[in-house]
Amino acid sequence: MEAITAEGLTIFYDGKPAVEGVDFTLEDGETLLLLGPNGAGKTTLLKTIACFHRDYTGRLGVFGRAPCEAKKFIGYVPQSHSLNERVPLTALEVVAMGGIYRRGFIHFKLPPETVEKAKEVLGFVGLGDVSERLFSALSGGQKQRVLLARALMSDPKLLLLDEPLSALDPSARAEVVSVLAKIKRERRVAMVITTHDINPLLEIGDKIMLLNKRLIAFGSPGEVLQDQIIKSVYGPLARVVPVEDKLFCITGDVHLHRHGGGGR
Amino acid sequence: MIPEYLIRAILASVMVSVLLGMLSPVINMKGLAFLTHALFHSLLFGAVLGMILGLLFENLSLVMLVALIVTIIVVLTIAGLEKLGFSPDSAVGIVASFVAGLTVLSFGVLYKVMATRPYFPLSESIVSYLTGDIFLITLDDLNVLVTGGALLFFVVLFLYRDFLYLSFDPEGMESYGGNARAYLMTLYVLVGATGALIVQTVGLITLQVVAVLPGAIALMVSEDIREILAVSLFLTLAVQLSSVVLAYITDIPPSGIATIMLGAIYGALLFRR
Repeated sequence: MEAITAEGLTIFYDGKPAVEGVDFTLEDGETLLLLGPNGAGKTTLLKTIACFHRDYTGRLGVFGRAPCEAKKFIGYVPQSHSLNERVPLTALEVVAMGGIYRRGFIHFKLPPETVEKAKEVLGFVGLGDVSERLFSALSGGQKQRVLLARALMSDPKLLLLDEPLSALDPSARAEVVSVLAKIKRERRVAMVITTHDINPLLEIGDKIMLLNKRLIAFGSPGEVLQDQIIKSVYGPLARVVPVEDKLFCITGDVHLHRHGGGGR
Repeated sequence: MIPEYLIRAILASVMVSVLLGMLSPVINMKGLAFLTHALFHSLLFGAVLGMILGLLFENLSLVMLVALIVTIIVVLTIAGLEKLGFSPDSAVGIVASFVAGLTVLSFGVLYKVMATRPYFPLSESIVSYLTGDIFLITLDDLNVLVTGGALLFFVVLFLYRDFLYLSFDPEGMESYGGNARAYLMTLYVLVGATGALIVQTVGLITLQVVAVLPGAIALMVSEDIREILAVSLFLTLAVQLSSVVLAYITDIPPSGIATIMLGAIYGALLFRR
């Protein structure tokens, strides 16, 4: 089944097109990496799929439904710096948040089954021992994993992740990527991940979309990571370098993008 | 023997402390200080409008009701502007400027209406709205304060976790099926209704300070939500009660003393940092 289908999708912000001409299909269980420079429209596309933004033309379907009718299938993971860490919530409370809002308006006490499930998903992301620690006291990688656990609380079929690796050091990135790989392997959840830093994510990416206010390229990593495509977005200094059986994509940024098994 | 009016003042202080002590941390965590400022000013507009209507219909009990209705209309207007795409601060700024202008205009109308009446004790009421007059609280006022306060207390208590989640990540709340806008509007209404209920006790001039500072201080000294609530409640209660006692001895309005005490504690904590 198709997790996401977009046909002739144009998304508007303040009445002006922010992203144009987007056509793609993501199959159930596949992972899509959304790549592009700042202001390319990655987060706009992600938020439109998540039903936070509704000003668009063309067709956009999530598991065959309009995005706002498919919210129960979606787990959204925001950028961790967008959260208000002055609110003293424990890791467990943050995770539980993902499981209580499908029922009722008042949540004075967390239901025991929600607490149990929150503990279980915290264990799944390798954080069973920090459940009572304050979210604000966790490391960047731990915070990101807590947010992933929160997204898993509703057993989503599609995970939308906004820059999950931003502002993380290399070891924290590796932790997060390892959890994403585990989710992909064990839960068969489709994922859309926006990133500036495609390098560590390529091992889990089935498809790559290159955006720059419009769709530049969409396809498998081997199809998208090509010199002329990368140069068209990142300028003449960008290039793709094959080393042994891997591809390294050097953009004008400091980021180094690598893809294994691309055959180049 | 303790005078009856002092007992009423102490009971009113306890109710005010419980309400503000609980709401204050949320006001801080959600960043509603600017909104609180606008809401509490709309209370003055509502009160003046209530006084005009009270004089015309010879029923001064309309004052609190009209103040509450005006505050809720202001809350809904701010929420409506936010829904249209204005940022929270812009929405508050637009509405606050209208409210400020309307307040001044309504004072002009009030003076005209007062001049047509043979006796008008309202100038005292207006001053008590501004500075608060806890010693003038009647038994009826106390009944309204305790009944309304208890109702507001339980609503805030039952929704407290949701307000924490709303403050932490409204977008996340929305994406997991919660209606962040409904929670936000409920919180706005609760802050406005609390203000309407206690304004005559605390005074408009000092209302924002006593609504914001206890929570700000509590958030500075603890990171545990239970401790934060306990500190905020205890601090508000201690400051309110001691200001009532000091005011009884010195004959200075208690709201002024409470504000200065809170400011001194906040300043001392900032200085220590």
